[in-house]
Amino acid sequence: MERRHSRPPLPTLRPDASPDPLRRALLVGFGATYVLSLVPFAWAQAVPDAAMAPFMALSAVLVGRPSLDPAQAKRLYDALAANDPGFPAAAKQLLDTVEQRKIDPMQLQQTLNDENSPLKDLPRQVVTAWFLGIVGSGKNARCVAFETALNAQVVADILKPPTYAYGAYGSWTRNPAEGPDHG
Amino acid sequence: MADILSADYIVVGSGIIGSLVARKLALAGASVIILEAGPRVTRGELVARFRNSPRRSDWMSPYPPADWAPHPIYQPADNGYLIQAGPYPYPAEYIRQVGGTTWHWAAQAWRNLPNDFRIKSLYGVGVDWPIGYEDLEPFYQEAEEIMGVSGAPNTGSPRAKPFPMEPVAEPYAMRRLRERLASDFPVVANTTARNSRPYDGRPACVGNNSCQPICPVDAQYHGGLSADAAEAAGVQLIANANVYKLEHDESGKVTAALYYDPDKSSHRITGKTFVVAANGIESPRLLLLSTSDKFPKGLANNFDMVGRHLMDHPSTSLTFDADEDVWLGRGPQSPSSINTLRDGPFRSEHAPYRLDFTNISRVDGSTKSLIAAGVFGPELEKRLRHSAAREMNVKNVLEVLPNPDHRITLSSEKDAMGIPKPETHYSIEDYTRRGAERSQQDFRRIAELMGGTNLRFSKDGDFANNQHICGTLSMGSDPKISVCDEWGRTHDHENLYLAGTGVLPTSATCNSTENALAVALRAVTHMLAQQGATSAPPPRDADERVPS
Repeated sequence: MERRHSRPPLPTLRPDASPDPLRRALLVGFGATYVLSLVPFAWAQAVPDAAMAPFMALSAVLVGRPSLDPAQAKRLYDALAANDPGFPAAAKQLLDTVEQRKIDPMQLQQTLNDENSPLKDLPRQVVTAWFLGIVGSGKNARCVAFETALNAQVVADILKPPTYAYGAYGSWTRNPAEGPDHG
Repeated sequence: MADILSADYIVVGSGIIGSLVARKLALAGASVIILEAGPRVTRGELVARFRNSPRRSDWMSPYPPADWAPHPIYQPADNGYLIQAGPYPYPAEYIRQVGGTTWHWAAQAWRNLPNDFRIKSLYGVGVDWPIGYEDLEPFYQEAEEIMGVSGAPNTGSPRAKPFPMEPVAEPYAMRRLRERLASDFPVVANTTARNSRPYDGRPACVGNNSCQPICPVDAQYHGGLSADAAEAAGVQLIANANVYKLEHDESGKVTAALYYDPDKSSHRITGKTFVVAANGIESPRLLLLSTSDKFPKGLANNFDMVGRHLMDHPSTSLTFDADEDVWLGRGPQSPSSINTLRDGPFRSEHAPYRLDFTNISRVDGSTKSLIAAGVFGPELEKRLRHSAAREMNVKNVLEVLPNPDHRITLSSEKDAMGIPKPETHYSIEDYTRRGAERSQQDFRRIAELMGGTNLRFSKDGDFANNQHICGTLSMGSDPKISVCDEWGRTHDHENLYLAGTGVLPTSATCNSTENALAVALRAVTHMLAQQGATSAPPPRDADERVPS
């Protein structure tokens, strides 16, 4: 068991935002070297809610991001737990499984499917929450995040979320490879 | 029953066409009442609903139906309002609220081609319209000036006057399509009711890329603005008034509209002339509901033509990854298309079509696909950026020919107000299927020219619907095969007019709204003449105009 005590350089999540609120984000609950190898920039920080620690660690593995916004994490966690009271325990169980068996995230779904694991729906639920901001399905689906959902964040250097103005009239004619044309 | 209101003209439906018909009548000095089944909803509410929706790609999600005025909803579950009799599903979408369905259109404001009016004479298919392009030309212009249409004069529809605005600035992705396809296909700017400069008090487009389901800044015209304009012209608009029957006198003239309010209290409104503009499904439904001893099959239905000849624009599509980053989602959603296959001698053999490129952000769709495929960890972000940058899509917009077996009827099931639901009978005929097959070679060539890989054709035999409901109230000169004349006046009732896309007797290859609007604006001149206002008086101030 080891914990990182020094704070390594962080990947830039939102290049247009400074100071980046996500730099205040945290990763918690990593017990295994293995997980740290998956998330090389991970560092430990105080956990606002200890019960969330496995969820945060599992999220970091599944979404492939070392730092996750704690306020958003709390909203997603609360929504997932409200949606399924068994969620916190299941998240811990899945994290343990990933750690103990050193399952690559790209192999995880197939592995769970092959084993018909009762946890097989969990990765999609967690990643859908983070990337689409959606928790639940069908009539029970609800939106917890939109412009702060990770799928908006990871393209924020090029695109704005739908309904947000891209920029001044005609700013979209430029080749985006030439650099950001909105701010 | 209250019976206190009356007007020169009673318009059923407050969509873009009903509202602009009402406005034009009011500006000519007439008293006008619009009855709208649905509620008033603001743009701000709609934007908030979209952002908070768990189904952002479901453009109906910001538009839940009112209990007292249902419309079809398919996600997360079919609400069972539009009954599907088959054999092919017709999952129509439309909106019953003040302003109607163009709240969430793509603002495609196309004119037909001149030959679209004569396909029976020229190609031996479908029917000829009772009017020609030249009859509509001034009214296309009128519609375009009201809506604020931007476009380029190279799409095959001749014009006497220039567009109100030049085309909206071309997104980078569309520029790359135009440049790389130039050897084989001219890619041109779409004709859209979208501002390329400030127009009529509304701003130029700022690229929100949510044209569907809602433009947050009104850079795109919509029926809510039409309803506002109607009220500003002195029209009295009554929302939440679900018209369930039209009454007539002994001579067959329509005398009153009966409507339910949300509490199902019935009200009666009388008028001199009635205009049914409640869309291609609800309008025929109302005529079919209006049965009496004298008209046991409903109004305007002596030859059993109401609701028949249902048409739309089915589409198949190809999605591929280009060999360069183009990043769809910058600028408006539907900017460019290929128009060269909309007309030609081949129309005697197969459906013509427009080829339409999307500029809708791929981010949400790609995210869902990757999650469904179990792509997790750092690879997810990497692949998402790749798809968002490179994925492109082209679809055909195919003509459907009028077929009397394709129709809207009344179901034996009833809605929450106890009114029979509409029922669809639809199929995709060989003429349209052959057009889809022909377009496959265009799809492949487009992908090839863009260095496309990972080609994903829409499922064979699956046609997406474009919600351009038309034909169900077809105009024509022969009462045996049409419902109304070239003015939208029903063959059977001298003071009952029909307006909207249902009046269009063929579907052609482009979006139906502007064609129907031009037909309706032209019809207003006839409506006014029939009430003796042959020369329209100058507009009065709105506050002078009250229902008579």
